[in-house]
Amino acid sequence: MSAIGIFDSVQLTAIAEEVFAAMVDGEPGLLLPWWDGPATVTDPLHAWVDLHASYTGRVLLTTDAATADDLARALLGMDAAEVVSEADLVDAFGEVANVVGGNLKALLPEQGKLTMPLVSRQPPSHEGAFQLDEVLLAWRGRPLVISVWNL
Amino acid sequence: MKALVVDDSRTMRRIVARILQDLGYETDEAGDGQQAIDLLEAGEVYDLACIDWNMPVMDGLEFVMAARARTDWRAMTLMMVTTEAEHGQIVRALAAGAHEYMIKPFTPDAIRDKLELLGLIPAEETV
Repeated sequence: MSAIGIFDSVQLTAIAEEVFAAMVDGEPGLLLPWWDGPATVTDPLHAWVDLHASYTGRVLLTTDAATADDLARALLGMDAAEVVSEADLVDAFGEVANVVGGNLKALLPEQGKLTMPLVSRQPPSHEGAFQLDEVLLAWRGRPLVISVWNL
Repeated sequence: MKALVVDDSRTMRRIVARILQDLGYETDEAGDGQQAIDLLEAGEVYDLACIDWNMPVMDGLEFVMAARARTDWRAMTLMMVTTEAEHGQIVRALAAGAHEYMIKPFTPDAIRDKLELLGLIPAEETV
């Protein structure tokens, strides 16, 4: 079985918007579709979870490390002067991937398992995998890419 | 009132703890079900436990079953706070003894509403 036809860009975007409105920003409207032409993610940080059901897939979030730093600060309620530790950065960005992945998993027609989130400055290996979908979003004007892979 | 927040994500523990503290709770945190059991075994008493499902060592469902097996911990209300959103998972958690179920992402108001239904808003916070 494949996830083709189960997830689509509209659902992916809606889930991400809900996660950010509830958990990160406390209000809707700060995560939007990216309309500003091609986006460049410099110094990327990646967070992902894998879904294991009859379909095996991956949900991957990628953004600039500086954006992930601000994301962690927003999640943790830290002010601009506070330094985000590497552990908090990894944990916070991983938790966003976990919640997005968990909500996508709920769309599967059967129960599945979600792996613990992983966070790295290197993208995960996608050897033998193919990308099912990708949405390019803007969080506070900065790019956030969410992709779904068939493993 | 006192609450225990059980989640392997420090970020999520802080978010939930902050919401509960704003409602007037004292909070403790545990990184997995076994750490939560250890706190309870050490004599800590909680009115409420907010429990993630997917955690290393001992997951949330195992913790709920272990907690429900102990008659001396029966007064503690168990609320799953998890990304596990499938109906079957909710049924499993409630059947195991969880009192309430909250799907991530959630808002502070959603947690407050659940706790109001359970009669678990600390007295000075109720209007």
